Amino acid sequence: MNPTAIEVTGLSKRFGDVEAVREASFRAEPGRITGFLGPNGAGKSTTLAMLLGLTRPDTGTARIGGASYRELADASGTVGAVLDTAGAHPSMTGRGHLRAYAELGGHPIARVDEVAATTGIGDYLDRRIRGYSTGMRRRLALATALLGAPSVLVLDEPSNGLDPAGIVWLREFLRAFAARGGTVLLSSHVLTELQHGIDDLVLIDRGRVAWSGPLDDFTGSAANLEAAFLAHTMEVHP
Amino acid sequence: MIALVRGELAKLLATRLPLAALLTAFACGFGFTALLALVGPGDSTPPLPGVETAEGVGLVVGMGGLLLFVPALIGTVAVTGEYRHRTIGTTFLTVPRRGRVLVAKLLVFGGLGLAYGAVAAVGTAGALLAAAAMRGVSLGVPLGALAVMLAQLALAAAVYSVLGVAIGALARNQLLAVGIVLGYFYFLEHVLLLIPGVNVIHPFLPGGATAALTDFTFLSEAIGEQIPISMPVATSPAIGALVLFGYAAVAAVVAVAVPLRRDVR
Repeated sequence: MNPTAIEVTGLSKRFGDVEAVREASFRAEPGRITGFLGPNGAGKSTTLAMLLGLTRPDTGTARIGGASYRELADASGTVGAVLDTAGAHPSMTGRGHLRAYAELGGHPIARVDEVAATTGIGDYLDRRIRGYSTGMRRRLALATALLGAPSVLVLDEPSNGLDPAGIVWLREFLRAFAARGGTVLLSSHVLTELQHGIDDLVLIDRGRVAWSGPLDDFTGSAANLEAAFLAHTMEVHP
Repeated sequence: MIALVRGELAKLLATRLPLAALLTAFACGFGFTALLALVGPGDSTPPLPGVETAEGVGLVVGMGGLLLFVPALIGTVAVTGEYRHRTIGTTFLTVPRRGRVLVAKLLVFGGLGLAYGAVAAVGTAGALLAAAAMRGVSLGVPLGALAVMLAQLALAAAVYSVLGVAIGALARNQLLAVGIVLGYFYFLEHVLLLIPGVNVIHPFLPGGATAALTDFTFLSEAIGEQIPISMPVATSPAIGALVLFGYAAVAAVVAVAVPLRRDVR
């Protein structure tokens, strides 16, 4: 796996009167899982959308392996992304969906069965997506992201809709992915969800990056992650 | 680019849209024509020319041109479906160079429009021949000439598909886009034909250009006989074809250029 770092520098985006993201800067390193933590509406999804070329930043840059997402020669072969704004057509079967996006990304069709096996949706491939549960849709989205065998994974609230077994499975999957040298950037608004699964933390609150660095440094002297989180968000907004 | 066209084609074929489109094409081509050819001509008031005359055949084929909003709708529904089901995000994540995605989409839907036109043409020809046989007359035009007329209509169907894709890419909201397509092609364009002074532009609107292409002047002549307004003079089929391809070119450029900078949210 090629080591590919994510580098976000001075990213800002305004929607009308709302400053969704203000001067956000952080890094996500290869071989590590970086948690992107913040309350609802903190600007996580907007930041990820800018990182992935779906939304244009007003200022700043977001680079993956030194290039912006839109400049990447093989975008879906470099980065796999799971976002709420990226869906699947309900009247397609899982197989039809994966096949279409494998073709579109220029990846071998044999990947369809491989990623289905990896994400555990092999038995559901020939059913229409309309009938999928939320958890199965999540797995299908991850399978779609893996089609190009990427070295970077960007996941927005990936455990939404997953059952406890699914959450454990995802954590182990991401751990193994990072151990092979992959870069993982994972957003969540749930502290406890990230606590056990991440190496580094980027804390975002009201559009600003309030803290970033290794998780151990963050917890530091505080009794637990929750106490540290409250302390840091208080610092930004006294 | 080939991977993109294959991808867009795979996406299209993974839904039921193409089957529905081609069934609709056959229903419109065969059913509509059969209805017109069998029930219509001689018995209507005022009587229309029958299929044994060249005018009668032209009339039936030209009426088929009034159903071209269907391939436009197919293009519109397909593109706005990407926004409705948020697959446009998945698509732009897979291929962040949006212009290339939309070019592939235009090629695929231009192709589907052509397939739609071909099926509708075969259906129309079948219905015309069947109607002539049932009435015990021979068709008013030679088969070669009929083939040319129907091929023109099939090409127009491809152009309308491309127009539909462009309208969908601009409007994004499915209901709004469908409303625009139906409202324009089914209503507004015909209303424009009725307004003196304004109706001189009608030959240069898609519907007027299609009418010129198929040499279909029945509608404007019939209206001209009923109400005392001056009807615009239709252009030649060649100019009609040029106007239509002009619309397709403009629609293609707009469909590719506009979404380039827009945020997907």
